[in-house]
Amino acid sequence: MNSTRHIERDDLVLFAMQLFSPEEAASAASHIEDCPECRRELAEVQGDLAVYAYTVDLQSPPAESRERLLKQVALEKKTLPPEIEPEPELPNRGFGSRSSFTPSSLTEDDLPRRSFGSKVFPWVGWALAAGLAVTSGNLYLQRESLRGSTAEQNTQIAQLSTDAETAQQVMDTMTDTTAMRVTLTMAQAPPVPQGRAIYVAEKGTLIFQANNMAPLESAKVYELWLIPANGGNPMPAGVFHPDEHGNASIIMPPIPKGIEAKAFGVTIENAGGSSTPTLPIIMVGA
Amino acid sequence: MYRETRIVNTPPSSTLDDAALLGLVRKGDEPAMASLFDRYSKIVYSVALRVLRDPAAAEDVLQEIFMQIWRNPDGFVATRGSLGGWLAVVSRNRSIDALRRKRPADSIDEMELASKYNLAEEAERNHMMEKARGVIGQLPAEQRKTLEMAFFDGLTHSEIAEMTGDPLGTVKTRIRSALTTLRKAFTA
Repeated sequence: MNSTRHIERDDLVLFAMQLFSPEEAASAASHIEDCPECRRELAEVQGDLAVYAYTVDLQSPPAESRERLLKQVALEKKTLPPEIEPEPELPNRGFGSRSSFTPSSLTEDDLPRRSFGSKVFPWVGWALAAGLAVTSGNLYLQRESLRGSTAEQNTQIAQLSTDAETAQQVMDTMTDTTAMRVTLTMAQAPPVPQGRAIYVAEKGTLIFQANNMAPLESAKVYELWLIPANGGNPMPAGVFHPDEHGNASIIMPPIPKGIEAKAFGVTIENAGGSSTPTLPIIMVGA
Repeated sequence: MYRETRIVNTPPSSTLDDAALLGLVRKGDEPAMASLFDRYSKIVYSVALRVLRDPAAAEDVLQEIFMQIWRNPDGFVATRGSLGGWLAVVSRNRSIDALRRKRPADSIDEMELASKYNLAEEAERNHMMEKARGVIGQLPAEQRKTLEMAFFDGLTHSEIAEMTGDPLGTVKTRIRSALTTLRKAFTA
């Protein structure tokens, strides 16, 4: 791949998937910028990848996420430039030319007869001032109201931050590879592989921790399976590779809500996991 | 000064096409934004969830992408292809960045994408999805797995070669062949 030769399709695919090293990516990007043919082919590849992305199993986002987005959208309301309207022409009929208007030079007879407009016009300024005063009052009240709700939101945010911090600490402790993990067994019993799953079917939340797992070659992984109570096929519930101490965990894998589990099992699969379990099931618990 | 845009005598935003919705979003129309979310949140979230395997992180990607559309609807222009396709790929790329704990690069969103499908139409979207799943299901297992590892797991060709024990060239060929089969199935 250089500036004169086109990028091979194999490489365009890798580039599109951001699997190039930074140097390779920079070189490819520079070529593509100047090469309509490669750019066209890259667009085709991106189209292929978009089609492939649509093969994913569809999951609905949490119901609150729509509300969360729309709240944020409302908070970041767009400020559009105001349309400038033409300044209304002031009525000057009956006043003659402004440039020649010199009050001191006028006599009673020279004064024009006051038209309806000229009688009303001086009051317009007062009416505008009154309107502005009312508007200012309203704005003040709105500002005070916003200030109150901001304070309330700040309190909620502080509470949420505290909750999130606690949750994060729990999560960090459970997933920290340097954490000390002790499995208590009967004295003098040899260590055996153990897994502990904590599952809330209603929420589709699962935490799994394993100890004393035998090491695996790099091309293999352990895969956890949820065996539904309704007799359905086992559902993949995450893959894991134990660390050097034989410990591993799976935290909150994507599982649809409401699936009652009859049991959980673990199999050994090829890297990346499988959609159906490969026998034997090496660990099982109900 | 905030300005709210309300269009009178126009059809509900849920029936408008993507370009019309983006036009309304540009004017600050919140219901149009809600319609875009209803149309594409499922695919954006599902792709992110598949990559990250973490619902909270996937939801963050979802929010981030839709807020990006709200803040800068011009970031996606119709000449770049289908909005639905673009969103699916951006979701994948953002999620891979999150997986690598890398700051998202703006350049990943600046892509042209050739698409012949009107993904704004639910029926067409479902048809395309079913067809694509069928094609992928028929691929040889090694091709299917290799593409999955590269696209959804973000593994480089070297990492895949190391994990599977296949030569680098084979990995690249498998990924390309899988995508070629997919393209052929849709152009046939």
